[in-house]
Amino acid sequence: MARMKFLCDADRCIECNGCVTACKNANEVPWGVNRRRVVTLNDGEPGEKSISVACMHCDDAPCAAVCPTDCFYTTTDGIVLHDKDLCIGCGYCFFACPFGVPQFPEQRAFGSRGRMDKCTFCAGGPEEPGSQAEFEKYGANLIAEGMLPACAEMCATKALLAGDGDLVAEIFHHRSTSRDGRPQTWGWATAYGAGLS
Amino acid sequence: MSRQSMLTIFGALALVVGLTGCYESSDVTFFEAGKYQGGDDPLLQKLEDPEFRAGLDRRFDGQRDR
Repeated sequence: MARMKFLCDADRCIECNGCVTACKNANEVPWGVNRRRVVTLNDGEPGEKSISVACMHCDDAPCAAVCPTDCFYTTTDGIVLHDKDLCIGCGYCFFACPFGVPQFPEQRAFGSRGRMDKCTFCAGGPEEPGSQAEFEKYGANLIAEGMLPACAEMCATKALLAGDGDLVAEIFHHRSTSRDGRPQTWGWATAYGAGLS
Repeated sequence: MSRQSMLTIFGALALVVGLTGCYESSDVTFFEAGKYQGGDDPLLQKLEDPEFRAGLDRRFDGQRDR
């Protein structure tokens, strides 16, 4: 069975934030919450690298381990999802997650936490796929429509890959081994890399 | 007891007490997720459909460089 994963090719990511925008647009993410973020290392310096980060859909998800209401489940494809009807907004998952993925919209007075929101790999949640209830709680269910997550669909440079871990690793391996194997007269390195560092 | 031996004993005691704070337990606590208490996700059944699965795999495979 597949294990769904994201992989961001740092040599291709141009920090356009198209993935962030696509995610927010497709899922109508609550104000103040970003399911996906682009992190840039050495920003503004020659040779800077950017990667797009969202939920890693961990095999042994720490968020699920600490949840007091056991609202997390993992699909047969390894996508970590949760039931918002059970979430009490305690924030344990936020502290457990090493990537800071779970976020809480401030819905009530005094900054009290709403129900946790995170990347669903565009696979919705425990509601009828494509239903209004599912969209309002979890956002789009593109997987049920046979599509990639919105961020990976939208990535202009195909830096962000999504899918079965083996497939994604194979694509990335092929890329990284053939990247410098051809003349770079007008290629990627000339446009973005060569002569900068 | 001489002043030097007292200082040696006191120093040794301070060293022992100091090193006690450096102890680190090697026991690792594994936390396991409980049983999921939420509702059923109809998507899981859909993913079992071979035809749907094949279409999804084709879509994912389309990410290869042309």
